[in-house]
Amino acid sequence: MSHSTETSAPTAAPVAKAERPKKLKRRGNNVPLKGLTPLVVALLLWQLLGSDDSPYFPRPSTWVTQLVDLSSSGDLWPALGATMRSLLLSLLVATIIGGILGILVGASRFLDRALGPTLEFFRATPSSAMVPIGVLLLGYTLTMKTSLTVLAAIWPILLNTRAAMREFNPTLLEVASVFKMSWARKVRTLILPNVATAILLGIRLGAPVAIIVTLLVEILTGVTGIGALLAKSQQDYNSAGTFGLLVLIGLVALLFNYCIAAIESFFTRHLPPTAA
Amino acid sequence: MSITASRSVKISPAPGSKRAWYTRFNWLGVAGLIVILGIWEIAKRTGLMSFDFIPAPTQIFAAIGGLVQEGALQSAVLHTAGVALGGWAIAVVVGVVIGVLLGLSRTAWSWTAASIEVLRSFPSITFVPVAVLIFGFSSTMELVVVVYAATWQVLINTLEGVRGVKPGLMETAQTFQMGQMRRITAIVLPAAASKILVGLKLGLNLALILAVAAEVVGNPAGLGYGLTVEQNALQPARMFVYFISVGVLGIILNAILQLIIQVALPGITAAAERGRRS
Repeated sequence: MSHSTETSAPTAAPVAKAERPKKLKRRGNNVPLKGLTPLVVALLLWQLLGSDDSPYFPRPSTWVTQLVDLSSSGDLWPALGATMRSLLLSLLVATIIGGILGILVGASRFLDRALGPTLEFFRATPSSAMVPIGVLLLGYTLTMKTSLTVLAAIWPILLNTRAAMREFNPTLLEVASVFKMSWARKVRTLILPNVATAILLGIRLGAPVAIIVTLLVEILTGVTGIGALLAKSQQDYNSAGTFGLLVLIGLVALLFNYCIAAIESFFTRHLPPTAA
Repeated sequence: MSITASRSVKISPAPGSKRAWYTRFNWLGVAGLIVILGIWEIAKRTGLMSFDFIPAPTQIFAAIGGLVQEGALQSAVLHTAGVALGGWAIAVVVGVVIGVLLGLSRTAWSWTAASIEVLRSFPSITFVPVAVLIFGFSSTMELVVVVYAATWQVLINTLEGVRGVKPGLMETAQTFQMGQMRRITAIVLPAAASKILVGLKLGLNLALILAVAAEVVGNPAGLGYGLTVEQNALQPARMFVYFISVGVLGIILNAILQLIIQVALPGITAAAERGRRS
């Protein structure tokens, strides 16, 4: 059971010491751009063979028209901004709370055993099931959206940090005590470097879930955001607008995940191999 | 835990390895859960917790009876489990087959990888409104969304696993003049197993998340629909029953998958464990 956290995050366990050079090499193995050809060809065929007023599969050029309409009516960018703001805020809060709780739980064998099953329950519960409960408790508010996203993103961060803390060698802390290190210094020089990779991995795993929950809340409740626009265009049977927003959200998510991966590799670059 | 135990067995019998299951069982964890529920109950009874819509644990237990008697809970669980498992099974077949084919051919990979990378990072939840447009408020819509979301997880991990197979192994297959089919079953799949298993697990989790999400948004059946019905009926206790059922369903499905893997493929499990350690 204690390994179930690492199974969802194969690189989470801080045991991959020998793998370091290989990992770096794999990062440099870039995906060739010519791989985009099937996607481009499919879209071109759709554009050539599709029709403008198909109720289900309108052609790509109409998606763009719809997006331009939404943009000029001033609905699009504020909604996207609201979604991104809420997403970033949630991830920040989830990282702080999840990191601190993960360190505390992982450092104490007693807490780890006592809270383990409860934490596993929340991790295994599909986050989408929390949305109706959050709506009932907190109403149709921004607080509700942010809290639900935090609740969804916090588990991978918390459980990965906890797993990393469990492997942390307590002798190090004893040595630090001998040297009369201050509490803050211990956290900064010993604990944080040891859990940083785990926290970053948790963020990378948590980000897609956070995106899902934020969008689900917006689709469901119509709280300001890009998901609400998507739900509205679906309710209006505006299929071109729905497809357009789908693509726009997808591209933003692609960029977002890319940034998170870039931040992760930037930070792990500085760490000593033992922390990997 | 099992790894550390089996490792130390070789040197000296590990103290924990031969104890009966009831001493190894995490009783402290159960106690922790009970304490949390107790604090929750007391906080609710004494009015410390001001939320009107959070029921006490005893009220939730009481609500289970009613839902079971109406038959609503059973049919909802069956529906959600059926769609999540069915969708996941389709996704596994599609994802593993395509993943192996693309992983084996460097040309096929380089001509498709970027497209896959773009498509799979689209948040699958955004396909729910599109699927509602095309398939209406139906179980087909839910199934399509689940299959779509889970397939990427399985495909990506299979692809990564197959591409990670050491060239030496492939050369061995060539030396033994293995046929393509035999090469895949005897060399590629076992070597990529640990990665594929990760994909299966992530895919199952995502399948359940998306099944519930699709039910919450549009499909009038299943646990997610039950949640929205009780939300609109302002029945928090019954809502929590559905919520807990979703969590328990997630745990059970994961446990079954783990069990099947361990029983059916003990060698692969061991390889996967080793792969994870190294």
